[in-house]
Amino acid sequence: MSQRIVITGLGAVSPIGIGVAQFWKAALEGRSGISAIRPFDDLPLEAYRSRVAGQIHDFTPAQYLDGPHVDRVDRYAQFALVAAKEALADSGLRIEREDPHRIGTIVGAGMGGMVMGEREITQLYRSQKPNRVHPNFIPTITLNSASGIVAMVHGAKGPNLTISTACSSSAHAIGQALLTIRAGRADAVITVGADASITPLVFAGFCSLRALSTNFNETPEKASRPFDRARDGFVMGEGAGALILESLAHAKKRKARIYAEVAGYAATSEAHHMVIPREDGLEVAETMSLALRDAQVSPTQVDYINAHATSTPIGDAVEVKALRHLFKSRADRMLVNATKSMIGHTLGAAGALGGVACALALETGQIHPTVNYEDPDPACALTGISTETQERSIKIALLNAFGFGSNNAAVVFKKYVR
Amino acid sequence: MPAESDIAVRIRTALGEYLKRDPASIEPRHALREDLGLDSMATIELLFKIEEVFDLQIPDQDLQQLTKVSDVIAYVEGRVGRPAAPASKPPAKPPAQRPAPRKKKG
Repeated sequence: MSQRIVITGLGAVSPIGIGVAQFWKAALEGRSGISAIRPFDDLPLEAYRSRVAGQIHDFTPAQYLDGPHVDRVDRYAQFALVAAKEALADSGLRIEREDPHRIGTIVGAGMGGMVMGEREITQLYRSQKPNRVHPNFIPTITLNSASGIVAMVHGAKGPNLTISTACSSSAHAIGQALLTIRAGRADAVITVGADASITPLVFAGFCSLRALSTNFNETPEKASRPFDRARDGFVMGEGAGALILESLAHAKKRKARIYAEVAGYAATSEAHHMVIPREDGLEVAETMSLALRDAQVSPTQVDYINAHATSTPIGDAVEVKALRHLFKSRADRMLVNATKSMIGHTLGAAGALGGVACALALETGQIHPTVNYEDPDPACALTGISTETQERSIKIALLNAFGFGSNNAAVVFKKYVR
Repeated sequence: MPAESDIAVRIRTALGEYLKRDPASIEPRHALREDLGLDSMATIELLFKIEEVFDLQIPDQDLQQLTKVSDVIAYVEGRVGRPAAPASKPPAKPPAQRPAPRKKKG
């Protein structure tokens, strides 16, 4: 049997709180982090179909980070740095006492450094001065800028990778960290998901794609409503999640606190359509099935699903169809929730923040609510979805994440038992 | 056969350009999905083009009612005003405000 991999540290930056304690407290209280979108300079907001988002309003990097690099990286990388720093401190892993080549960094990011990216492009065309494009533009928009800076700041010299698979980026990052440690290429991996792309151009792009909620512009906290009949698209969020994945042997040797085990992972492609999922849900079901097999767990053992559930009409229904297909009658006996109901869809951060929720659910037995699930849509109603925090001692959790480009990820977490 | 409105011609032309086929082969009775093979993403791209041609903004909730070429023609005629040329169909209703849109990607 291959070696076991565990989670020894967590970090979170989210619209409902910066820091895991705040994030988890707000999540259990069912607090919404969705609000009216802040204006984009002097652009006409009314020309944006959707005007709600899960923005982090009170983020001042200097409060959490120091060093000359802080102001030179994009907002998403700042989020990644804060979450990684928290997770590392939480884990007690001191890289200076380790062989640094045995500590990896894997970051999932969907959009990357779009804040600076958009600003520089705009300035270039306005000023007509190519010689005034900022020297830091390329290092910032290069999609691995967050994994680069996280590894650099902490001196982690093992594999340093970025996974960019849109909305599933950091679920794949967790999976790839699992595979890296399993393969013996690292003892621990700083695993992060981050995105901060509620920017004028990206937000307009998602509006044009008609992927965002538009019916709740006057009641933002109601806009993200996975599984509810009135859901009408996702709500963009931003943030970062971090998990320290470590081989059990290494974690035990340094007597680390263990939140949960990461037991299995699967990555598949629907090879179907750039942005539309297959409506029969069979590929999603197959992905979950492969992840469970990788974890040597049967579908009958699964207690809890942290659903991808972005609050789009088709996506949520397809996911539930897949759950019913794979889990049969057990689909109504599992607990299911949607972290995005409170924080919106944080794109590249979604899998990591969902992973944080899975780890804490396994450790505490508390399953955070799915807010705004007021009028269950028959197409995606499941008994285990609740607007209240549910308490149950659970042993197996499954995290789903699906991304544009027709890709799916599933990660299996286990309660840690010695 | 009654003369076609200018709006109808422009919509069929836009469709022809998008689908890379002869606009004359596109008929009002054609369903966007079943007959012309447009999936929801392609429909969104087509409507993006039509929004530009007619300087319109089509709300998400109106997408649901646009399933045939004739629906799109009637909708645009309703939004930009009755065309001068005689249309082959009765005057379009103004767009209904539907509360529960169903067309969205995952």
